[in-house]
Amino acid sequence: MSNSNLFLKSAFVRAPLQNGVGRYVCQLQRIVLKFCKSHGGSRGIRDFIEQDLVNFAKQNPSVVVYLKPRRHRSPAVVAEYLNGDRVWMSMHLKTHSEITKWIEVLRTQQGDVSGARLRKYQYTDHPSLQGPWTPFTFKDPELNVAQLPDPKFGANNRIPMSATEKLRIMFEKQKISDEEVKTGE
Amino acid sequence: MAFIRRYIPLVTQSLKNVYIGEQRRKIHRWVAPTLMALKSRENKQGGKVINPRNTFLEWNLEAELYAFGKRLSENFDSDLLLQAFTDRSYVIKEEMKQKEMEFDIKMKDNRELAEEGRKFMEQYIQLYLETVLPKFPMEGIASIHNHLTSEKVLANVSLHLGTKDIILADEYPVDNYTLANAFKAIVGALLRSSGEEQAAHFVRDFVITNLQGQDVNEFWHIEDPWTMLTDLIAKTGSKLEPRLIGEVGKNTLLACYRVGLYLDKKMLSSGFGETVATAKEMAAREALKKIFGTEDNMYPINFKLNGIPKSSCNSRYQVSAS
Repeated sequence: MSNSNLFLKSAFVRAPLQNGVGRYVCQLQRIVLKFCKSHGGSRGIRDFIEQDLVNFAKQNPSVVVYLKPRRHRSPAVVAEYLNGDRVWMSMHLKTHSEITKWIEVLRTQQGDVSGARLRKYQYTDHPSLQGPWTPFTFKDPELNVAQLPDPKFGANNRIPMSATEKLRIMFEKQKISDEEVKTGE
Repeated sequence: MAFIRRYIPLVTQSLKNVYIGEQRRKIHRWVAPTLMALKSRENKQGGKVINPRNTFLEWNLEAELYAFGKRLSENFDSDLLLQAFTDRSYVIKEEMKQKEMEFDIKMKDNRELAEEGRKFMEQYIQLYLETVLPKFPMEGIASIHNHLTSEKVLANVSLHLGTKDIILADEYPVDNYTLANAFKAIVGALLRSSGEEQAAHFVRDFVITNLQGQDVNEFWHIEDPWTMLTDLIAKTGSKLEPRLIGEVGKNTLLACYRVGLYLDKKMLSSGFGETVATAKEMAAREALKKIFGTEDNMYPINFKLNGIPKSSCNSRYQVSAS
């Protein structure tokens, strides 16, 4: 499956509103716990409400907590974030400890992160520190004082050696060494 | 989505006893046409209806206002905060309603607070920018200041502080003007309830930090950098000399020229471009950046200045951009 077929919107790693440059703002603004007072599927969330909810609200005064009892319907948690995201999560048949962990996830994330596909794991506004490349960017400083034309800088040494040339050089070398051998005698 | 969510259990239940050869959940053929029909019905009735969040059953304005203050770790006066969130349009609407029902409760709107907040914010941002960019001229500071206090930036800040749902206005979702106005009013309310320094830190943390990762030169468009540079140099009495220090690919599409600016035979800056004139202009821009202390490799702007900085208007110079 290619990315264009995925129903996930793509995103970069970004902090909303430079969060943390000035001061930290918890991005979860309100959370609604929907549950049934009698049904077995809501057991875990009822336990959470009885044991942990007051502490949760005390530790996070910036989060508005709403409880919404609904008769004979399965439990759910709806988290709303400062950037306008709304995350719905079913808590049906989840245990107390599972719910504690999921609510911690909802509290610490910055929006609907599971609904977005990260294109990269890093992000920068300025991909190049050096600026655009020009022919002068990595210019040899020696050229500044050279007297042109100079065979050192003007030599055309970019074309690779041809096979014929290689053969010719090998032949020359061989000839020289043969002559040396003869003179050695 | 709610429709699919509602019917997915039905779909999956009916499939439980059926062997599925491939690893794919089947979506019935009627689902797409039904959703399309529902969508077209919705469109016929005038598009999707967005219900205001404050008409929901789970809504408590008092709790929301308390959490708003806690979220920003500020202590607001609760009456002032409520006033800051009350838009003029809401007051007008309520007054009309009250006239019909023949009773009268006075309501305060946020115009006064917004005006107060705006004044304070503009003054503070000006002083702050002058302190963190000591060599930047007045016009440049003014354009950064205009950017920071523009409706778009303030509305974005306001939206990300969670004012959208709390604002009392006659429309929902609220427009940018109302959002920005509410933010100014919040600054005004904070100014009244916690004093100047606290309000200043609030503005610094939420408005001025918008400059983070931005190039401050981008906000100020210099029409003719060469004239500006020569005027500046003329005041010091030195001699500015542009020299062509490199040319590549002359008379081709990919021509590149490099011009260096020399001040008393010492290199000030260099720039490149596809013509000599562009290269000279780029070199002049580079030189101006150096003079203003806003080069590409400048230190990041300090966002941690405490208190309200003192004004130093006398030492600041003004450049006339022709």
